[in-house]
Amino acid sequence: MTKLLEWVFGIMIVGAAWALVTFDLLDLRLPEAYRQVAWPMPVYLLVVFGCYSLATVGYRVATFNDCEEASIELQAQIQEAKEDLRRKGLKL
Amino acid sequence: MATGADRAVGMGLVGFSLLLFSYYTIWVVILPFVDSDHVVHQYFLPREYSVILPGIAALILLLLVGTFIGVVMWKNRKPKVA
Repeated sequence: MTKLLEWVFGIMIVGAAWALVTFDLLDLRLPEAYRQVAWPMPVYLLVVFGCYSLATVGYRVATFNDCEEASIELQAQIQEAKEDLRRKGLKL
Repeated sequence: MATGADRAVGMGLVGFSLLLFSYYTIWVVILPFVDSDHVVHQYFLPREYSVILPGIAALILLLLVGTFIGVVMWKNRKPKVA
């Protein structure tokens, strides 16, 4: 059983449960409120996933660990290397 | 630690996604259980829009991504050597 098969199985089962409630395939006659919550569920889960992704990206941008000194040191080393190569004849 | 603009943009994204999540969750999950004559219903569009609006947003996103890819590919075209 590959991962893909596992996911496809899982999605099919969840999808079947959703279709059952949304289209009333077994004539369960659920209360109207539950049916109203169920039918937008696929779109709702997508939107929630999108919000979670956006929040994760935003949070990691805000808490990223900038290394100022390492950046300055690196730029100095790049200059040094460029000078060195220029002296040795490389056209930059 | 991330500096000024990075922090502002990052926390802005977090705040925006929290707002969006809250509004959308109330709209889809909570409202069906609230009496139809409660005043809170006037702050939300009819239910169909809770599916139509994200659909339109997804289409616009696809359009933007496709346009971006097209523009980048157009800029990087190299004429065939004669």
